[in-house]
Amino acid sequence: MHSKAAKEFLKNTSYAKWHDATFWAVRSKRDVMAQGLDEWEQLREKASAIKRHTISHLDEYLDMFAANAEKNGVVVHWAKDAGEFNDIVYGILRQHDVKKMVKSKSMLTEECEMNPYLESKGIEVVETDLGERIIQLKGQKPSHIVMPAIHLNHDDVGELFEQKGISDEPGNHDPTYLTYRARLSLRDEFLTADAGMTGANFGIAATGDIVVCTNEGNADMSTSCPRLHIAAIGLEKVIPDYDCLAVFQRLLCRAGTGQPTTTYTSHFRKARPTAREMHIVLVDNGRSDWLANADHWEVLKCIRCGSCMNTCPVYRRSGGYSYSYFIPGPVGINLGMLRDPQQHSTDVAACTLCLSCQSVCPVQIDLGDQIYKWRQQLEQFGTANPSKRRMSDAMSLLFGSPALYRTATAVSPLLNLLPSFVIDSRLNPWAEGHRMMQFPRRPFHEAIKEERKTEQAKDHE
Amino acid sequence: MSSKEDILKKVRTNIGQRYDMPDLSDIKAVAYTDPLAQFVKMTETVGGRAIEVAPGRDVNTLIRQLFPEAREIASNLPELSIATRNPDTVGSAGELNGTDVGVVRGMFGVAENGCVWVPQQMKEKAVCFISEHLVILLRRTDIVNNMHEAYRRIAFNEYGYGTFISGPSKTADIAQVLVMGAQAARSTTVLLMPNVQSNT
Repeated sequence: MHSKAAKEFLKNTSYAKWHDATFWAVRSKRDVMAQGLDEWEQLREKASAIKRHTISHLDEYLDMFAANAEKNGVVVHWAKDAGEFNDIVYGILRQHDVKKMVKSKSMLTEECEMNPYLESKGIEVVETDLGERIIQLKGQKPSHIVMPAIHLNHDDVGELFEQKGISDEPGNHDPTYLTYRARLSLRDEFLTADAGMTGANFGIAATGDIVVCTNEGNADMSTSCPRLHIAAIGLEKVIPDYDCLAVFQRLLCRAGTGQPTTTYTSHFRKARPTAREMHIVLVDNGRSDWLANADHWEVLKCIRCGSCMNTCPVYRRSGGYSYSYFIPGPVGINLGMLRDPQQHSTDVAACTLCLSCQSVCPVQIDLGDQIYKWRQQLEQFGTANPSKRRMSDAMSLLFGSPALYRTATAVSPLLNLLPSFVIDSRLNPWAEGHRMMQFPRRPFHEAIKEERKTEQAKDHE
Repeated sequence: MSSKEDILKKVRTNIGQRYDMPDLSDIKAVAYTDPLAQFVKMTETVGGRAIEVAPGRDVNTLIRQLFPEAREIASNLPELSIATRNPDTVGSAGELNGTDVGVVRGMFGVAENGCVWVPQQMKEKAVCFISEHLVILLRRTDIVNNMHEAYRRIAFNEYGYGTFISGPSKTADIAQVLVMGAQAARSTTVLLMPNVQSNT
């Protein structure tokens, strides 16, 4: 449950403050980028409209993308679900007798739990994005989609690297030193891997390329040495052409990390001349079902920039591990509900409805409005919180009956007289994390009535 | 039915309202009075460096001066007489490991973000990433304003690979401290070549 996990997170107050301030700084960098371009809001509108168009013509664009990729000599596979995806990947690796595969970051492979599957089949999988590598060595999952190891500090990483024999100066936890040691260790992995896997930020229907954006260059390293390239791509990542890509390329990094671009924006159309093959695996895994959901299909517009998490006051103060779905924050809440509402319903409470997420989303997904809509359906899923249900029933009764309301407000100041150990006790859930409010001696509706009377009297004078 | 047919059929059935493609021709994209100056500024902002090369200046001498310690220099460019390795003739991509400086040609730069379009022009593209330091030769007049112009201009050759590179490889994955040189080049230098330089 989000609130319980968040309470754990907040116990480490200095870290919780750092987490909040760090993401607010990223959000502020995003603002500088957005304000630096007069056309920013126009780009967001175009991006949203392109995605609406593409997703509502996905059948045509998928067909075009696959046909063009095949024309380039790429082998295209289609996976209905996570199981089929994992089988396809394993099949390709087995066929090429792959013992070790390096890979760049892919939330899709997290979603399909590909790494544990391949490892169970005896294939070594090495994450090469530094953050992903750190959490892989630690046996953890990402706590943010762009900054996956944000829950660890440099001492955590330093100790981890000492344990794993990656660093050779015990006690040196300087991030520059640790990054350099990871570079050396990963260099060996790149050179000895038999296959490289990438995700894809975009698939281009008109040309059949997949486009991968990284700052580290690890997707390029993963595909420059090994002789086999497999790209995993969710259906919704396909866009029409380069004119559309220009819009997204300009938005993605500015929105996500506040940079004008990622260091590398790489286009892969075919296998290198000295490599054997390039494969693309298109993955559905629920996406085609979500298309039919009239209220929620627009979540498929998401380009996974992470800006909704960075700005979210709840994410910033509770961390990625407080959510039940593996993608946290506003978009994660929505994706989790699409995936399995029974399992992820408690995440919908992790939202203040401030709507900051949808005001920064580069593709204008109405993330907060959608969370509100999910809350209206909890009864239907059988996951409504019974005490909240009782509270709202009581409120309907109170606010629906003027006589009852007047009596209640007349007697409420008496509650102020109760000693704080009674009113702030565990029996009153409102008092948890809040100081109980003071009820006014004179309720608002009476005050306003009197005010009006005096004004009317003045007018008559 | 194959998974492809199953998926496409389900997609077709589940699509609700179909939306039109928006008009992108009216995007009022940023343009600069001096795109070259903006490109240099952005290259520095992202942690790279851009150096204007005077006409007649020998690029070999310049690279030697910039990287006096460099022992292994990899390039397939005809003007790079100091190259000790050639990405066209190495036995495998891995043989390029340990390259101190890799030198490649960029096709054009993008003023708004310091990107340089580098299509693969060598057998092993590893040279663009595996080298400790990357040098990109770019004609100083080949600068576009923004990514819209850039995507109208990019061209692919038979290699079927190309990348926009802006600055060095970097990461902030350890405690959000920015470190240059994650998995690929630790520095990126763009040499802005005079007009007379041929681009073949």
